[in-house]
Amino acid sequence: MFDRVTEVISLVLGALAIGYLVYEIDRRQRKLHDIWDVLDGEDALITDSLEDMVESGELRPFAGAALA
Amino acid sequence: MTVRAARRSAKPSESREHVAIQPPPETQLPAIQQNGERSAAARFRIFIVDSGWNSAARRVLHENFALIRDLQKDDPIYVLSREKSVDFMRRHGSRIGRDPIIAVHDMQALIKGGTSGFHGFRLSLGLLRTPEQALMGLQAFARFLVEHRHSSDLEADIRTRLRREGFAGAIEIAMHHEAREIGE
Repeated sequence: MFDRVTEVISLVLGALAIGYLVYEIDRRQRKLHDIWDVLDGEDALITDSLEDMVESGELRPFAGAALA
Repeated sequence: MTVRAARRSAKPSESREHVAIQPPPETQLPAIQQNGERSAAARFRIFIVDSGWNSAARRVLHENFALIRDLQKDDPIYVLSREKSVDFMRRHGSRIGRDPIIAVHDMQALIKGGTSGFHGFRLSLGLLRTPEQALMGLQAFARFLVEHRHSSDLEADIRTRLRREGFAGAIEIAMHHEAREIGE
């Protein structure tokens, strides 16, 4: 009986540990994708506006020594 | 044909919302103006959007910008003024609080496929809360650009790296671990 209870507790704890690991990896992946992200069709509008600013001369390559 | 012409050649006249722009396949990568000189080698255009939050990421960016510029001297860096950055944030509200944002346009991908598909990547430096994390993020950014500036398929490189090294978790975990080591 005691062995059975111990076995069940071990299984539950093991499942919780695996669940936490999966959750943590997923959380970290989501966070990293927030920080690093590829530019694709969803960013077309933003990319266009930035490229337009360059093409129109509104934005020039930075030539200073340091950021203000 | 300029980049603008390439991007707009297939652009419909109606709203630009959700428009996938496909340039003609014959478009060639143009030389890019850099500090008054023409440079045919510029693979990337780097944009820095910073509305001015008093954050660790902003301080790290300012302190290391000269080095970033030296490391990326083959590619033009465009720094939006505070006014332009604030205006940008007002138009794209979901980006508020993520800046400084460093957006890298892959000109090769832009010319080849327009903005409909992959055409670069973005680092939302403002999401990194500690100076150590921000510095590691900036270093990872500089390293990636230098290592991959001659890549024939940047998207594949990024996605391969995402998969192989667990790009998502690996950098995050590495940043946390190393940040702790630095901080201790």
